[in-house]
Amino acid sequence: MTAPLLKIDNLRTYFYARRKQAFVRSVDGVSLEVGRRETVGVVGESGSGKSITAMSVMGLISSGPGVIGGSIHYASDKVQRNLLDGLENFVQLEQSDGRVMAVSKDERGWQKASEKLMAGMRGREIAMIFQNPRASLNPYLSVGEQITEAVRLHGGITAAKEARERALHWLERVKIDTPHLRYNTYPSGMSGGMCQRAMIAMALSSEPSLLIADEPTTGLDATIQSKIVDLLQELKSETGISTLLISHDISVITRLSDRVAVLYGGAVVEYGPARQLLDAHAELKHSYTAALLASVPNEQKIRARANLQAIEGEVLDTINVPPGCRFYARCNRITPEIRDKCATLHPELKEVAPGHQVRCWRFVN
Amino acid sequence: MKFMPLRALARTLLKELGLALLLLLGVSFVVFIILYAAPGDPFSVLLEGQMPSEQALAGIRVALGAQQSWYGQYLSWLHNVLGGNFGTSVRTGMPVAGELIHVSLNTLYLTLGSMLVTLFIAVPIALYSSMRGHSVAISWPLTMLGYVFSALPVFWLAYIVIYVSVHGFGFFPLSSGMGDGWLYTLVPVLVLGLGSGTISEVIRYLREEMSRVMAEDYIRTARAKGASVWRHAFKEGLLLPVSEIFAAKIPFILGGAVIVEQIFNWPGMGRMAWQAAQDRDFPVIMGIALIAAIFVRLGSMIQRMVFTAVNPHGARD
Repeated sequence: MTAPLLKIDNLRTYFYARRKQAFVRSVDGVSLEVGRRETVGVVGESGSGKSITAMSVMGLISSGPGVIGGSIHYASDKVQRNLLDGLENFVQLEQSDGRVMAVSKDERGWQKASEKLMAGMRGREIAMIFQNPRASLNPYLSVGEQITEAVRLHGGITAAKEARERALHWLERVKIDTPHLRYNTYPSGMSGGMCQRAMIAMALSSEPSLLIADEPTTGLDATIQSKIVDLLQELKSETGISTLLISHDISVITRLSDRVAVLYGGAVVEYGPARQLLDAHAELKHSYTAALLASVPNEQKIRARANLQAIEGEVLDTINVPPGCRFYARCNRITPEIRDKCATLHPELKEVAPGHQVRCWRFVN
Repeated sequence: MKFMPLRALARTLLKELGLALLLLLGVSFVVFIILYAAPGDPFSVLLEGQMPSEQALAGIRVALGAQQSWYGQYLSWLHNVLGGNFGTSVRTGMPVAGELIHVSLNTLYLTLGSMLVTLFIAVPIALYSSMRGHSVAISWPLTMLGYVFSALPVFWLAYIVIYVSVHGFGFFPLSSGMGDGWLYTLVPVLVLGLGSGTISEVIRYLREEMSRVMAEDYIRTARAKGASVWRHAFKEGLLLPVSEIFAAKIPFILGGAVIVEQIFNWPGMGRMAWQAAQDRDFPVIMGIALIAAIFVRLGSMIQRMVFTAVNPHGARD
């Protein structure tokens, strides 16, 4: 078996809340893999660390202390490297009981070394699309110019005319009508869905190996959302690109993902094949995943006029992370036998079925 | 190859020109009314110390057209100006138009030069402190320096500079003309650029704009696609704010120019206006007011043109 395209291991990205004088542990030990030609969905509530994970992979965290540990192994046909290789030398951690209490980081040295490791990665190997596509495109450049820029930077085409042709080709592939006219349109003149198509064209035009889609449908109309998902699905089967799909929308995750990672409080709580994990009736499941699934409307529930179930309690406060299971305060499946462990010990990911891991004491014997 | 919004530019230009015409009309009217209502008239200055006979006085009044009604005077002035005739100076008896061109070019040189000085100092400081906002050690003193310069009154700075250049370097930076001593002309330009009180404001504005743009989503996209952040941030983060500052600060700098021109004996509009105001030299005052309004309007016209060129469809306001 070949190495996975992207292997994130024990990634930790913290921020410093100056007002509270404490760390925000946005990403606290995330590990996940994206294989070749595979789409891995990352799902979780707002603030669970999904987007920060993606930004950490891209090396785009700019406020301190940012990424402080872990490894991100990337292995495509052209590039094999750990994107955090040797960066731990710039960070000194003070830990007690396995928890980081203080960080001193040589920000400048880190940035310099990180830029060196990221050389030729951004845009060329890993491309990214975002939520809010209209704000993500430069309002002062026409859409065509922006795609052409990506082509000329990474597509190996420097001739202006050829690059333009290529950009037009991609506008066509993302099904933008009359690409010749749209080439000169500014983002303000296009709908949100069309802007997202242009973003996708821009991302894929340099033929990257990995696409990170950070909430690609958020902020779009429901009908447009569905069309964007269709487009991503189609392009995925055409190009065979690997995708790290981040969304809080379970239906989007369901339609696109091969495997799913559920994030809660900056850590993966469940990780496994999409079919198994997203099956609402399966028993082997983290209670957070179950709660997430119960909160999504589906045909059955609508017919039965059943109320949707909100998840009780607040999203985990990543400043004061409790010592035990992070979902302890909101969990509704705690049994008396494991209650003590849940409250005091952080469970490990445990394989409950082949390729399916859950972080819960119920599955630890 | 590059798509240039020529049509949008032409439209903006026409609109601005039309607006400028209306504005100039308004300015000239208001200035005229103020002059007309203000106490004192050119005759008292012209005939100071003389005891003219009633007949002589009446003759001068007819010659100057002062026996017309106020709107008649304004209309005949307007009519002449449209024909390129700005009248003759009451004091010197020379035609105003030629003199106006001469002094306005001198003031243009002083104004644009000092604007450049301000920008040359402010832009690097603003960019540096917006890019490296964390390294307070350098950006903070630089910003402080900007505030200190802004706090220096221009008349004080001018005299200090004269004192230093005379005693320290042995040259006297008072040029009576724009002849060979072009080096002398740099001194007033520097003084106005440093002392017009705009530097700290320009620094603060540019830094805020740049920092705001650097946090925009599309800059994140630029970084994620491996493109130059500079290329993407330049238009909104630097070009637009600079052109805005340029347009907004012209009136202030013209105001400062009056003082600097007085001190350095600079043959510009400010000095001429000062003199004309003392003499109640109506045609000169009117002409200078008109030219000053044209300068201000020109500044905002350039700003509008830059805005249109950068942003032909009004993507943002």
